[in-house]
Amino acid sequence: MAISPDLLKQLEEKRKAIYEAGGKDKLAERKKKGLMSARERLEALFQPGTFMEFGLHAQHQCHEFGLADKTFPADGVITGIGYIDGRPVAAYSQDFTVGGGSLGSMHAQKICNLQDYAMKSGMPLIGINDSGGARIQEGDAALSGYGQIFFRNVLLSGVVPQISILAGPCAGGAAYSPALTDFIIMTKTNAQMFICGPEVIKAATGQTVTMDEIGSAAAHATISGNIHFVAENETHAFDIAKKLHSFLPSNNVMDPPHHPTPTVSMELDPVMNDIVPDDPKAPLDVQKVIARLVDNGDFLEVQRDFAKNIVVGLCRIQGIVTGIIANQPTVKAGTLDIDSSDKGARFIRFCNIFNIPIVTLVDVPGFMPGIAQERGGIIRHGAKMLFAYAAATVPKITVIMRKAYGGAYLAMCSSDLGADLVFAWPTAEIAVMGADGAVKILFKREIASATDPKKKEKELSAEYRDKFAAPYEAASKALITDVIEPSQTRGIVAMALRNTLAKRETRPPKKHGNIPL
Amino acid sequence: MKKLRVTVEGKAYEVLVEILDEGTQTAAPMPVAQTSVATVVAPVSAPTTAKGPAGAGDVISPLAGKLVSIDIKLGDVVTEGAQVATIEAMKMNTYIYAPKAGKVTAINITPGDGVEEGTVILKIG
Repeated sequence: MAISPDLLKQLEEKRKAIYEAGGKDKLAERKKKGLMSARERLEALFQPGTFMEFGLHAQHQCHEFGLADKTFPADGVITGIGYIDGRPVAAYSQDFTVGGGSLGSMHAQKICNLQDYAMKSGMPLIGINDSGGARIQEGDAALSGYGQIFFRNVLLSGVVPQISILAGPCAGGAAYSPALTDFIIMTKTNAQMFICGPEVIKAATGQTVTMDEIGSAAAHATISGNIHFVAENETHAFDIAKKLHSFLPSNNVMDPPHHPTPTVSMELDPVMNDIVPDDPKAPLDVQKVIARLVDNGDFLEVQRDFAKNIVVGLCRIQGIVTGIIANQPTVKAGTLDIDSSDKGARFIRFCNIFNIPIVTLVDVPGFMPGIAQERGGIIRHGAKMLFAYAAATVPKITVIMRKAYGGAYLAMCSSDLGADLVFAWPTAEIAVMGADGAVKILFKREIASATDPKKKEKELSAEYRDKFAAPYEAASKALITDVIEPSQTRGIVAMALRNTLAKRETRPPKKHGNIPL
Repeated sequence: MKKLRVTVEGKAYEVLVEILDEGTQTAAPMPVAQTSVATVVAPVSAPTTAKGPAGAGDVISPLAGKLVSIDIKLGDVVTEGAQVATIEAMKMNTYIYAPKAGKVTAINITPGDGVEEGTVILKIG
């Protein structure tokens, strides 16, 4: 006896009704706007035919405010597992056509179930957010749902990579779920993220603001620093997520997907010598250095438009997945300030969690001076860099290209902060402060009593510079592994990464350190 | 003086407006406006086009330092991205580039002078 055809038909009909989501009209309207449906988004994200759905038939249990007779297909969120590059990834996609993508208790439970599964199975979680917010009819059950998602975001943090894609509204408390994840990708248009919208701001404070000013991808990418990538559209957002995933292990006990080259090439790159300006005051464009250091110039820059005086991102160097942290002297002279310290420290900690070796490229004149910095807490923020580097146990390779002054030198992964290997170019200047400032303090009396104080100051300054505007003083104290030509950098860094890859470092057991926040 | 907010093509500007023919009690005539009637300040944030200083053609110093040189002349026509000035700060030169193409209509700072973060160095019309 074969299974009754009626049962199969019933299943087929149920599926069909749920696949129609908020209805053909709403789906068509969306298409007209150039937007994908929630299901199309998952299809675009995953390899074809790999999606396994969880909770297709889930329904809300709410009987209040006219919801008793209302059904929400899949309760407004599609959850499940699919494959990217042959590796399983958990993902959810909120469906704006179903009750505005509103989050009620079942919607939240579906996301929580997926989070639990991702954590147990050690796979990354990608959330595609497109929701009007809490399902108000469900009252505090909706609020509780958010709380449970946040709690799991925190449990998963440091266990599996979590990536949020914002492809629609993400307002109020809902914005805190993406904020708790590792990376946020936001589409340039159609996505907004904010805690209080323009109306609430107006009512509460009288300030008039536009949605773009507070909630757009541009505002978050450049000013608030809340997001990591801006995508042209949804397809681009998925491309970024896939690219990011290509550098990441599935969980914290795995190594990232290294593809080591069979041999390490020590070939010289003479162009690297040409990139370094002769004049120490002419800024070195660190992007040019990175482009030549990484394989095929393929560098996935994170937070490209925020705190541009530091550059961070992922790459491979002769096949080894590497996180790069580099000062950018063309912007704010490459100083470390509040925002660049926050950006750098968070990225260092991300790399450390997921066993990604760190290469630090140093050209830093110091911490940014100014009242706004001091009063804004540069001490607390700059300390994050020191904390993050010292606490990181992944391989840490440092290249001092030019300036490495004072506390900022230490904060850029000096040997004292635990760098495993430190290389310096002949142009490296490692000193407690700049020559002009130093001689004014060291030789105050000599300069004042000289017949020509200006001339004396210049002489002393030149003497100081000869001693410290070179790497050899620091190298003589074994603070540097070796002085290398810029042209040797790629080969030596690749070799250094191979040598250090099996590094093991144990630390005293504790709950967690207390990083200054 | 009335503080108004004007939104032009999605960009918000804060504007100070002095209404000249209002509330005058004739006894003591209102002083004539000393400056221009409306002060236009740069938008609060960088909305959709998130690059360069948003104030029309203002070339703004990105950090405090000393102006080393103005690398163009008054009246020059510059292309977008052309180097227009050099600031020295933190032992390093920072080059300033034109945020848009146009003619240099004003140069406000003399080489050798200090600049604060946000100082308008020159204007491109």
